Amino acid sequence: MTTDTAGSVSPVQPHRGRPIGLLLVAVPVLMVVWLIIWPIISAVITTLWVKTPEGDIFSIETYRFFFSDGYSLSNLGMTLWTTGVCAILLLVVCLPIALYLRFADSRIAAYVQGLAIFPMFVPSIILSFAFIRVLGPNGTVDLVLNAVGMPKIRSPYLTPWGPVIGLVWDNIPLTVLILLSGLGSVSNQAIEAARDVGAGKIAVLWHIILPRISNSILVAISFAVLGIFSAFTLPYVLGPAAPEMMGPFMQRTFRELFEPQTAITQAVVTFAFCIVFGLFYVYSVAKNRAP
Amino acid sequence: MSVLNIKDVSKIFPGGTRAVDTFSLDVADGELVCLLGPSGSGKSTLLRMVGGFETPTSGQMTIDGDDITHVPPERRPTGMVFQSHALWTHMNVFKNLAFGLKLRKVAPAEIKRRVEAVLELVGLGGYGTRAVTQLSGGQQQRVALARSLVLEPKILLLDEPFASLDQHLRERLREEVRDIQQRLKITTLFVTHGQDEALSMADRIVVMRDGKTEQIDRPDIVYREPRTPFVAGFIGTMNLIEGTVANGVFSKAGYSTPVPVADGPATQAIRPEALELTLATDNAQGKVHRVTDFGTHGLVDLELLDSTRIKAMVSHPGLFQPGQGVALAPKAIAAYRDDILIHRGALTPEIAARRETIDA
Repeated sequence: MTTDTAGSVSPVQPHRGRPIGLLLVAVPVLMVVWLIIWPIISAVITTLWVKTPEGDIFSIETYRFFFSDGYSLSNLGMTLWTTGVCAILLLVVCLPIALYLRFADSRIAAYVQGLAIFPMFVPSIILSFAFIRVLGPNGTVDLVLNAVGMPKIRSPYLTPWGPVIGLVWDNIPLTVLILLSGLGSVSNQAIEAARDVGAGKIAVLWHIILPRISNSILVAISFAVLGIFSAFTLPYVLGPAAPEMMGPFMQRTFRELFEPQTAITQAVVTFAFCIVFGLFYVYSVAKNRAP
Repeated sequence: MSVLNIKDVSKIFPGGTRAVDTFSLDVADGELVCLLGPSGSGKSTLLRMVGGFETPTSGQMTIDGDDITHVPPERRPTGMVFQSHALWTHMNVFKNLAFGLKLRKVAPAEIKRRVEAVLELVGLGGYGTRAVTQLSGGQQQRVALARSLVLEPKILLLDEPFASLDQHLRERLREEVRDIQQRLKITTLFVTHGQDEALSMADRIVVMRDGKTEQIDRPDIVYREPRTPFVAGFIGTMNLIEGTVANGVFSKAGYSTPVPVADGPATQAIRPEALELTLATDNAQGKVHRVTDFGTHGLVDLELLDSTRIKAMVSHPGLFQPGQGVALAPKAIAAYRDDILIHRGALTPEIAARRETIDA
């Protein structure tokens, strides 16, 4: 006989687990607040409270200077251009690699995957050195061309294309891995069903595969864009002296021009662009997950 | 009119596995042929070759006389329904069905008309705007079927389409699919490892084993006149008793039946429903091990004197108890030797009576 009355059963277990769960979460949350949130707030405050002989006053002068200074704007433009070109090139280069790795069943695919992941294990400074030795003036390419009697190429070293090539190469592994994980959710039967109703390879890619991996493409591009926008080593070593990307620009303003407030302003502007990309990514992922 | 001809088709995979071995089959216009066999018998590989998803190593396939052996799937006049439905979850029901028609550049008004008509046909009228993820398993399978039918293929290929559905739904859907197939008179090749599906739907059954044909016949013939012990054991429940024939009598551990074949080892096959049991105390040929009551009938699991287990179907399972001795009286038997049918026939009371004479 069951004569349960309302409220006679009370769950006890969840109450016991709650403090432990909160404690476990508290450590990383505090670390994020300490090492990320607080420096951001601190940087924003520093740029808005300007020191004057009369004392600290609220001013947007540093931002007004940044957005009215031609050199700062050309550096920002250069960073946006490099990021955009890299994002497009990464998609153009990595999507075919990921498609090949997903659908090829030969042994060669394993070697291709190894090669695609390899840049992940190469430090940026080594990559820069290798780039200079291969594509730089009197590098391997030049020597080979000279040996076969062909004219020298115009080296991308110290041009805007230098960082582009380096950054694309550096970001290939992560982009390929994210796209590959997205392609894993596209079943062989879904593709065979499309071919069965008359879809050729291009139609299958456009109508079946790309819509199914749009989330992965978004994640891959967002990760790449966020990393490239604030990149330092490759643009510093391989890029032109002027205009330069925001990473080297900030470093030079801080270390060589001794203008910490201007450098922090540049950092806040860089962060603002990154947060826009970040919010767009979060919004898109949330929208795609909505039922 | 759509006729499928498969001639001496073989498929050897790169590792050397011979999935299909010189297989031939002619499927007549409007006929539903079931490919039946255990896992690894090559039935799905064969169906995929007809659909264009695998290329035969040798042999030829034609549809209405046109060679399709090396035609890619997108250019074949076939429509395939996959086991996992393979619906495109980023499209709703209407778009799933309309996709193939759009690729064929059919006018939008005509697409709408044909999609709605085929949705009505499969009992999903008004479901066009639904997301496929909101449908039940049975509804998803209907959409998958409709997606193939809307393109009016010459040959419909069904690859274990009901395998992921529950028993009740499976029974209902197979009746619906059979009705639709007969209404449209569409030539159909159906792969299944479920014998009940094959027996209830097919015009003809192809029993496959290790990539080869064991028997091609009407379902009733495959059931009643299996040509090999494998077919006998695979279709329905069959008691296969290994024994010896001497002087026209098959015997095995106290059990014996007249079989008019030459002396030597033989396998006797008896359906449970063709094995009559009577309670016996002195001349028991077996012992009741377990009795299962299915409501409409009972199944007695019994042991011969050498512990060989066989089954008998009884109408009154309550009469039998575990441990009781029973006498066996088969009403119809088949005998095989070296995987070849050597005898088949009903045992009339007169013939059966010879057993006692001989035994005596």
